[in-house]
Amino acid sequence: MIRYVESRLGLDSWGRRALRKVFPDHWSFLIGEIALFCFIILVATGTFLTLFYRPDAAVVTYEGPYEPLRGQEVSAAFDSVMRLSFEVRAGLVMRQIHHWAALVFVASTVVHMCRVFFTGAFRRPRELNWIVGFTMLMLALGLGFTGYSLPDDLLSGTGLRIGYSALISIPFAGPYIASLAFGGEFPTENVISRLFVLHVMLLPGLTIALLGAHLAILWRQKHTQYRGPGRSESNVVGKGLWPYQALLSLGVMALTAAVLALMGGLVQINPIWLYGPFDATTVSAPSQPDWYMGWLDGATRLFPPWEPTVFGVTIPSMFLPAVLLPGLFFTVVALWPFIERRLTNDAAEHHLLDSPRDEPGRTALGVAGLLFFTVLTLAGGNDLIALTLDIQVESMTRFFRLAMFVVPPVGGALAYRICRQLRDSREHPLGRGSGVVLRRTEQGGFEEVPRS
Amino acid sequence: MLLRSLLAAVVTTIALAAPSLAQQSGRELYERRCASCHGPDGAGREGLGPSLTGAGAAAADYQLRTGRMPLQNPQAQAVRKPSVFSEEETRLLVSFVASLGEGPPIPSVDPGAGDLSSGQSLFIANCAACHGAGGNGGAVGNNAAAPSLYASEPQTMAEAMVSGPGQMPVFGFSEQERNDIIAFISYLQTSEAPGGIDIGGTGPVPEGFVGWFFGLTGLVMVLVLLVGTGSSRAR
Amino acid sequence: MKAERVVRGCFALSLAASVGLSLVYLAGGSRAWEGVLLAAALGGIAVGFILWATRLIDAPDNVEERREQKPGEGLGLISEVLEQSVTGVSRRKVLAGLASGAAASLGAALAIPSLSLGPQPGRSLFRTLWVPGIPAVDSEGGRVRPEDVPLSGIITVFPQGSEGAGDSQAVLLRVAPDLLSLPEARASWAPQGCLAYSKICTHAGCPVGLYRAQARELLCPCHQSTFDVLTGAAPVFGPAVRPLPQLPLAVDEDGYLVAQGDFSGPVGPSFWNVTQ
Repeated sequence: MIRYVESRLGLDSWGRRALRKVFPDHWSFLIGEIALFCFIILVATGTFLTLFYRPDAAVVTYEGPYEPLRGQEVSAAFDSVMRLSFEVRAGLVMRQIHHWAALVFVASTVVHMCRVFFTGAFRRPRELNWIVGFTMLMLALGLGFTGYSLPDDLLSGTGLRIGYSALISIPFAGPYIASLAFGGEFPTENVISRLFVLHVMLLPGLTIALLGAHLAILWRQKHTQYRGPGRSESNVVGKGLWPYQALLSLGVMALTAAVLALMGGLVQINPIWLYGPFDATTVSAPSQPDWYMGWLDGATRLFPPWEPTVFGVTIPSMFLPAVLLPGLFFTVVALWPFIERRLTNDAAEHHLLDSPRDEPGRTALGVAGLLFFTVLTLAGGNDLIALTLDIQVESMTRFFRLAMFVVPPVGGALAYRICRQLRDSREHPLGRGSGVVLRRTEQGGFEEVPRS
Repeated sequence: MLLRSLLAAVVTTIALAAPSLAQQSGRELYERRCASCHGPDGAGREGLGPSLTGAGAAAADYQLRTGRMPLQNPQAQAVRKPSVFSEEETRLLVSFVASLGEGPPIPSVDPGAGDLSSGQSLFIANCAACHGAGGNGGAVGNNAAAPSLYASEPQTMAEAMVSGPGQMPVFGFSEQERNDIIAFISYLQTSEAPGGIDIGGTGPVPEGFVGWFFGLTGLVMVLVLLVGTGSSRAR
Repeated sequence: MKAERVVRGCFALSLAASVGLSLVYLAGGSRAWEGVLLAAALGGIAVGFILWATRLIDAPDNVEERREQKPGEGLGLISEVLEQSVTGVSRRKVLAGLASGAAASLGAALAIPSLSLGPQPGRSLFRTLWVPGIPAVDSEGGRVRPEDVPLSGIITVFPQGSEGAGDSQAVLLRVAPDLLSLPEARASWAPQGCLAYSKICTHAGCPVGLYRAQARELLCPCHQSTFDVLTGAAPVFGPAVRPLPQLPLAVDEDGYLVAQGDFSGPVGPSFWNVTQ
């Protein structure tokens, strides 16, 4: 078979080089692969779900086996997800795997980006790939939000409503954008079918295209690598694609799928039968979005009651935390390679990775950013935390309002200090096994001596 | 159980036969256990306990049967705990409080006569905003929490609906509507979660925790252990 | 050779689990068993392959040299080619300008159909379906008298004929009239202590479905905006700024609640030209 393809396409020289392509042997390079495999699992399970889902807001009567909803008027979309969950063989497990995979997909994407950020892998010549990856994160968030809304249940409907309120809060254009996006004033019947097209065609299509670009650029530019013996800016040291990396990646793919299957089979997620069909006049508490939107929910919860009128234009209290804040935050993230280049005046090519301690400033900033994000995410669950710890919700909110400003700088400063101390100490984790250490010479310079 | 209902029957007979006697001992019990906060005549005391005039039998029965009263700290929210009163004492106190003024009587309840589907939609429309769609309870701010409904009995749930204990509003449901809602809550209490372990049943927050700390963390830990780095395996 | 035995075991386990999975499907399916067996089938393959790669293959470290990517080397060639072929274009400034103008106008013209995605918002954000004299009904369409609302009670009402209407929903509450401290102009809006407020939060639009009866405060479960019922639903906590618009109520001659007119302000979340 392989010979057949080989002889028809004449790929032998390219193929031989490809099979020998070098992959650095370090577990942290596999986190991006987890994200990739989550996406593949999402496409596979999502295809299954699409075969049963109906993107239709028409009202039907639920007649399925879940007794508490029988006889109620629900949308055809909700009805189809109920049928998928209770009547289609393996439907519920597929749906739950899909939802868990979505949560882990975004989580692994974020961790992968953190790896790239803290090791400086985004530096020249990889700025382009950072932008491509960042765009995929945005698409992932869009996929998550649209997918979360498709079952047309009460919880997701509440999420859509808050999305509408965020859109309408944009000065001047808000009411128009919201009306165009939702096809009128919320709630409308158009939303489900629009979200469906976005969720199963447009956004995944774009993601697949960018994924191709991401991997092609990676292939072309070759991997970065940690410092170590024999490793330099002008080479890559690692294992070949065949057989080592190929088998390993297959293993990681199966592992990702196995963990998601275990979760999908055993742990309940998004029980839409409890929330019931969407109804614009009811709400259930607690009411939260999936984790990757939680920080925006938290920001809106913490924002003070402030709605200034500037030259006759009201700035709604949703606008700053739900539109401007993510806009600014994501802009900084997207442009970080260029910002850092400006700050450090370092325009050189880098293929050797930093240890986070080597760049205390960058690490401190990253830690502060992550802490900011974490505080806001926790604030998005302030009512649940208050309930669990038996504290007043209002006190929780006031605490997080303070923490939002205190925790990130303190954490960042702490990270900075720790990095400095580690950097100054001789022990370097990436230097382990390097065989040489630096020793100060009497003349004040440094010399490499074999490690004792 | 048999003993308990027998006792109840005896007490009821006594109460019916000698209402004045029952009221007499109910008042005594009240003065001993309740009057310090609610006042000797049930008019309430500023900052300690509300007036019980017009509270009615439903409210008294709910508060006593779920152990919410007596309350050690009048400022704290009353929570469910084992009742300190015997069945007989409860009945005496309830009939005494009921005699203080006209209030909602103990509603009759029959979950078996309830309709699940109607109960579900009534629950979502009226109860889920505080108690949560899965009945797991929730914080409602101002130091108050709507309790989880998984320990509640049909009788006390019906009493809560008509009397509105604590921050809970009063609901003017018909008897049928009450039965429907209670039938649905009983269904929640007894049925297994269709999707598996319900991880608290409060939606995306616990789901996010599980996704991060079981899903991704588990995956990465396996990779660190099994793959590690080339040099870590060599050694 | 211990590792090899483990790998063999993993693949065997996977094989067995897959057979089991098929049997479970054929037997009618079971969520938990489907998940566990699928996880075992995949997990066996996963651990098998990972151990195979990391423990059984003695892959030496390969070294691959990086090709220097000097600026102007690969890229320069392409740009040179482009420049050569473009000289015929860039010299003809007028033509190039006209061509880009045509392309831009075509783009704009093609974007216009996106306007059919939704109607112009117009004044609809400022209005609801409540008109003077329209009866307030519950979600079933039943008319409501003041005494139908228990003291410390809460129900959701709609303008008659529009039950379930998203923008017109209102909470109807009843409190003891002597507790009220509404603005003077609203003195007649609460017959027998019956108050109606828009149920849509003025912050993010969630239904304000949570009523703390003792504190007489409405709370939105989405972001915990809290409104004081007695003073005209003024916000007392959380991110909401505007009070919940109040619906002026009256009792008609048959004793039923009707609206005196529309809400006291635009309902729902704020937008740029909302009137405070």
